[in-house]
Amino acid sequence: MEAAAPVVVVDAAGTTEVEGEESEVFSPSDVEYISYGGEHHLPLIMGLVDQELSEPYSIFTYRYFVYLWPNLTFLAFHRGRCVGTVVSKIGEHRNTFRGYIAMLVVIKPYRGRGIATELVTRSIRVMMESGCEEVALEAEVTNKGALALYGRLGFIRAKRLYRYYLNGVDAFRLKLLFPQWHHSPTTNKDGVHLHDNQYGETQIVP
Amino acid sequence: MASRLVQGQEGETGGRLADPSISYPIIPAGEQTVWADVSPLIASACNDLQDGQLIHGENFSLFAAMSALEIMDPKMDAGVEKCGYYSIEEAIENNVAPVPLSLNPTLDVQRVIDVIDHLFSCEATWYKGHTLAQTVFSCIYLLRIERTSSHALLHSYCRIMRATCNAVISVVSDSRTHEEEDLFTMAYGLPLKGEGDEKCLSILNSVEETISRQLRACKAQSLKKKQLEDIEPLQSNPDLEEGYCRALLCRLRFRKHYYLVLTSMKKPQGKGLELARKHVASCLSELTHITKSQEFLRALSYGFHQDDIQSSTTASGCRPIGFDASLNNRFSAPTPPRATHILSWKEAVSYFQKLLSDLDFVCSLNTDLVLDDVFCFIVQFQKPQPDLVARAHLQLIINLLKILCANTAWQRRKLGKILQDWSVLSLQLEIAFKREIGETLNVMVDENMSTKVSKHLLRWTEERTYWIASRFLTLGFELELYSPYDYCMVYWFMYLVFMKLLEKIQLQSAANNENSQRKGKKKKDHGKDQIRDASFSSSTLLIHCYICLSEGLAMILAALRNESKAFHMVGPFNGEEERFIQHFDLLLKAHVPEHATYYLFKESTGHARISSIIKDNCFREAQKIITSLRGSYAGNSDKLIELQQLEQVAERNRVALSVIDQIGARDPSLTVSFEFTHHPHFAIAVIKRS
Repeated sequence: MEAAAPVVVVDAAGTTEVEGEESEVFSPSDVEYISYGGEHHLPLIMGLVDQELSEPYSIFTYRYFVYLWPNLTFLAFHRGRCVGTVVSKIGEHRNTFRGYIAMLVVIKPYRGRGIATELVTRSIRVMMESGCEEVALEAEVTNKGALALYGRLGFIRAKRLYRYYLNGVDAFRLKLLFPQWHHSPTTNKDGVHLHDNQYGETQIVP
Repeated sequence: MASRLVQGQEGETGGRLADPSISYPIIPAGEQTVWADVSPLIASACNDLQDGQLIHGENFSLFAAMSALEIMDPKMDAGVEKCGYYSIEEAIENNVAPVPLSLNPTLDVQRVIDVIDHLFSCEATWYKGHTLAQTVFSCIYLLRIERTSSHALLHSYCRIMRATCNAVISVVSDSRTHEEEDLFTMAYGLPLKGEGDEKCLSILNSVEETISRQLRACKAQSLKKKQLEDIEPLQSNPDLEEGYCRALLCRLRFRKHYYLVLTSMKKPQGKGLELARKHVASCLSELTHITKSQEFLRALSYGFHQDDIQSSTTASGCRPIGFDASLNNRFSAPTPPRATHILSWKEAVSYFQKLLSDLDFVCSLNTDLVLDDVFCFIVQFQKPQPDLVARAHLQLIINLLKILCANTAWQRRKLGKILQDWSVLSLQLEIAFKREIGETLNVMVDENMSTKVSKHLLRWTEERTYWIASRFLTLGFELELYSPYDYCMVYWFMYLVFMKLLEKIQLQSAANNENSQRKGKKKKDHGKDQIRDASFSSSTLLIHCYICLSEGLAMILAALRNESKAFHMVGPFNGEEERFIQHFDLLLKAHVPEHATYYLFKESTGHARISSIIKDNCFREAQKIITSLRGSYAGNSDKLIELQQLEQVAERNRVALSVIDQIGARDPSLTVSFEFTHHPHFAIAVIKRS
């Protein structure tokens, strides 16, 4: 569980702010996490994302995600109110089976209390169980909160994308690699690998 | 019947329809068009779909979904915004861009200068990464150039602006840097091509000539001299004539010289670069005059509101007439329009000063020397090396040069990708070489010319490969790709790469020495060799310095991790090994260097302790090298600056190390952080005690 100090904002493409007086007082155990259950959840998700993120998404975009991968979308409720959501997908990308986090939002009064981390963790866990090799997403280079959140989960900043967003801000491509059944290749002096590894090398010393 | 835009329908899920309380203006149907009300059709289509149903086409991809627009959503639908005019014609009808700009000749001149200044600010904003449509071409005079033909000054300025935009766009699109420059070159729907743009310089020259004569006339008059010719003044207030003439002249001359910079630089084989430098100098000189004119212009506000000097887009502070940023919103498809913040006039001046000095740097490139060296090198390359390798090699070199010109984010990705190509090339060269000789590389026998060249080429390629790898790694710091948890492994990898780079450089240098000894070179060749040797030895020393610093930093971080668990992170989904594999994926795949495994990393750093690092004295060794390098780099200010930075890094880390040793790494009150305060790649340990 994260510390109660409300410090960072955790949305995927929004701005960072330091929270203070506007925080809602609640106990983390009062927050319910629910998997996407159907059409009735869609307006809640759209409302949250529209309100908090600057990039506009058409309704087709939402339906694309929640229809094809309902098990990867989660909502966070506090006393019946939807306070956060994560929307993701899984797919083949250049010969890798990869998860992708498309949207992550927690409304302002509830930030800094670990809700976003919990939402993302649940989504990633489903990805892992589905056999994904890695998870990817983009975040603005200025979004310190998101970068810290994903950094703690083991994501690295794989690439910097110049002027990725419409407002001209750069983005980082963040990636998390799941441990495969590889081992660190140990070699004898002829340079022959002892195990199968991720580079597709299949020489095996008898 | 012409109908209003859809209004007042009950909102559907996610619908953001028109506000029924606002009435929208009627857009008239054109000659070939007629309005038809489709509200009933849409309503019945809506009723046909149940909640939760979706019509899903076969090609409904994420891209299609993301590209879709929802009509009437102001975030996506450019047309729904009520501000501004619906068309250029409507704006013109409402006198937004009058010609002349005022019936009062003085005010007319003032306003033209404001238009010129605002265009200048728009131009700088465009270069910085916004669309042409929302910057330079927010100018209605440019959008309808033919309207300005009765106003010589405005017309000539618009013509040269248009020609300049064309020249810049063609340079950027020709270079094909693949840097997402599509936004920059996007000119859909804009009247960029004009007939007779080649004549724009002569038109501008004649206007400049007229104003020069007007300036001479007013100066003659003020000195009560007899005027040589009867010339109509620029404007109607004799006291302001000189000031206005000067203000206009420097702006026109800047435009002329800037256009000539572009045309000169475009000449093939770098033939126009020297001339371009002269025009750059003229531009900078005119910019100084332009800046000086601000005082005169700011004093004359004619009662109009003046913006703050820091934020205004014109020298006078007055808002220009003739611009409407919202007119072209519909032309910025497919992305929705963003409010473009136009740079202030002061910012634009600074921007152009920097741009001009960057262009001057490019023009100062000695193309003869660089290309000759590469050319000779390739020509020397004889059979039996297969032709394919030679050609591929040349292409790789040219590719590498192109990549190094790109923005650093894109550059790093490309450098990582080409590592494989360079590594394979080295391998091919080695195989070809071995096949010819039939023995190992280390045995020196009587070699013929082609053997020597092959060896030289092989070593040069290997050296380049490690150079690319080192740049790939260090760019990661500049791009902020590494978190403090990654520093240890990054410095460790840099240490390996620099070691290999040093090895290859030293092999090259040894081979050169051997060659000159055996050949018994004449005296005049010795001089050239000496210079080359000196530069070899200082570059090897510098790499040696990098090696010491990388090793030192890797070890401090490892020791802190081993002794106090600092900089050690275990995530819920993966560990350090996965992060290692990800960071160095491209290097590992290319085997640059060989055997650089996570296992080796753990072995090398697993026993690091602060006490043993102090004994090893990497930072002190670095300092010794730096001292000896100062002599070789005397006169080279860039290298001296770097030496200074490296000295700071070495000294502060050495001190930090002994402080940590004194306090004890395990002391809970000790916090160590790593800051890049002096050198962009080598951090400094900063100690805090709580």
